[in-house]
Amino acid sequence: MNGLLDVIRAETFKVLRKRRMYILAALYWVILPVLALIVGRLLDTNLADSFANEGASVDMLLQSLFSPYGLAGVSLVLPAYASPTLYIVAVALLAALLIGDERSQQMWKTVLVVQPNRVAVLSGKIIVCMLAILALMAGAFLSSVIFGSLGTTFLPTDFSGDWLRLAWLYLLQWAFLLAPVVLAFLLIFVVRSAVLGIVMVLFLPGLIEGIYTVLNTLLQLQPLNRINAIFQTLRLQRAWEEAPRYFFTANLYVPGRSPGTEFMTQLIPEGDDFNESIFGGMLGSGIDLAHAAAVMAGYAIVIGALLYWAFLRRDVD
Amino acid sequence: MNAITAEGLTKRYGGTAAVDDVTFSIEQGEIVGFLGPNGAGKTTTLRMLAGLVRPSAGSCSVLGESVPGPTLSNVGTMIEEPSFYPYLTGRANLQHAALLHGDVPAARIDEALAFVHMQDAAEKKVKAYSQGMRQRLALARALLWRPQVLLLDEPTNGLDPAGIAEVREALRSVAETGATVLVSSHILAEIEKLVDRILAIDKGVLRFDGPLHRLLEQMGGQAVAYRIRASDQTGLLAALTTLGYEPRAVADDSADVSVPLDDADRLIERLTGAGVRVIAAAPRGEDLEGAYLRLIAPGGRPS
Repeated sequence: MNGLLDVIRAETFKVLRKRRMYILAALYWVILPVLALIVGRLLDTNLADSFANEGASVDMLLQSLFSPYGLAGVSLVLPAYASPTLYIVAVALLAALLIGDERSQQMWKTVLVVQPNRVAVLSGKIIVCMLAILALMAGAFLSSVIFGSLGTTFLPTDFSGDWLRLAWLYLLQWAFLLAPVVLAFLLIFVVRSAVLGIVMVLFLPGLIEGIYTVLNTLLQLQPLNRINAIFQTLRLQRAWEEAPRYFFTANLYVPGRSPGTEFMTQLIPEGDDFNESIFGGMLGSGIDLAHAAAVMAGYAIVIGALLYWAFLRRDVD
Repeated sequence: MNAITAEGLTKRYGGTAAVDDVTFSIEQGEIVGFLGPNGAGKTTTLRMLAGLVRPSAGSCSVLGESVPGPTLSNVGTMIEEPSFYPYLTGRANLQHAALLHGDVPAARIDEALAFVHMQDAAEKKVKAYSQGMRQRLALARALLWRPQVLLLDEPTNGLDPAGIAEVREALRSVAETGATVLVSSHILAEIEKLVDRILAIDKGVLRFDGPLHRLLEQMGGQAVAYRIRASDQTGLLAALTTLGYEPRAVADDSADVSVPLDDADRLIERLTGAGVRVIAAAPRGEDLEGAYLRLIAPGGRPS
């Protein structure tokens, strides 16, 4: 236990001295809400007194997106839609710092002698990575509230909203990021290259899903219907069709994208099925939180087990 | 009590044995030199002792506990090139190591920095350090928690002569505290001045394990080393080379050369015959380098 606490203290010391973490925090905590407020102000100035605000639809939009609650939602949703997402960028940067540097600077030979308990070393690094991500997300939540409060002074917004649910979604999104953290650690450790490992973290899940999409398209072509017949015979057709529901990225951002889905639902005609609407495909929705949580827990356990197995066995060169 | 023990230590990579059935033990407080040419298996052996590499066969222990184990926290290491986080200062690198170790008082960092004369550079980022500074800082880190065992791989690499002498003195004073030191080096003159005992490894096999004087006795008696001073150093070197020896220039006017015992009595006569005006010729006795080179040469006698 002492070893674990020593690793946590040492790695935290390291993270706090890395400039890139502050740049990431500034981007997430300040630039994003400030830009959002500027957009809100522009909307308010140009549309509040126009015909577009009939029925107070602009006011509703401003409340949904630029109130303290709305801004906190935007700070959860937007990072989940960037490409690559801000969440995965944060994971990659932290993994590069906590695992990649040990490789590129040949620090394993020092770290693992100073602290020979490899379980403590790996666990400590994972914990520090998750704590750093938690700090980033909590900071984003708080800064959104602060900037949103400032916004209430010049926008028709207030503090109303389902704060508890939003905080729960933040927490869930943070917990879901354990799977990409252990994946990043595993890839960087196994390929023995920080750069290659990070590139793989950023693009591998998307690449696998892209290959599936291409294969799926090919399978629907007539000349390949024999393969379909084989699929049917082996009863694989259903599993193949269900596969996207278990994809890494399709599940990873479900909590983060959830407020976005709720917001978009307001924009489709009442009674229409959201998943069938133009927004449904765009948001990758149709996966509920419980399913996504189970899938991501599965990924975290399997990848984590592989990571510990590799880390405890491998020679350090 | 043995501080370090290796028992049939073997490491294979594919079909090649980098270290092959190496057995030795080192008592507490000994300073032992670990000699071997590049690729002999020195670093792999040190890595196994430090718990970084798993042996393919055999075992090793440090301070009575098998490796890897908790006693490694009583070991200080410098293995191959010194490595640091380049974006941290020298002091911050030591602070990180101290936190990771968990049992280092804050004042000890200043002591360690002072010990290697690095106080003035402590606040600079390591990426701005010279090789010599990195080497000193690595030694400070290895000594940070006052380890009972030091595993040092080429600790004087990149240091100037004054730095080498400082490291040598530092290691002596560490050894005086009762610490055990296993140090590998290519600079045999440095080993000679520092250690009590030699382990010599070649192609993964331990070729010699014993006191320094025994290596000199065992491998001596076949050649004599001379330092010859002449009025014309270039002529001296040319003549020695023509006679089939491998001289090494020393200062502006001298050369060191090792000649077979059978040739020793005719050396001056042959040099004079070759037109060299010899001013002085002093036998240097058997040195470690000569003994070591013969040990690892084909036909060299293993102990």
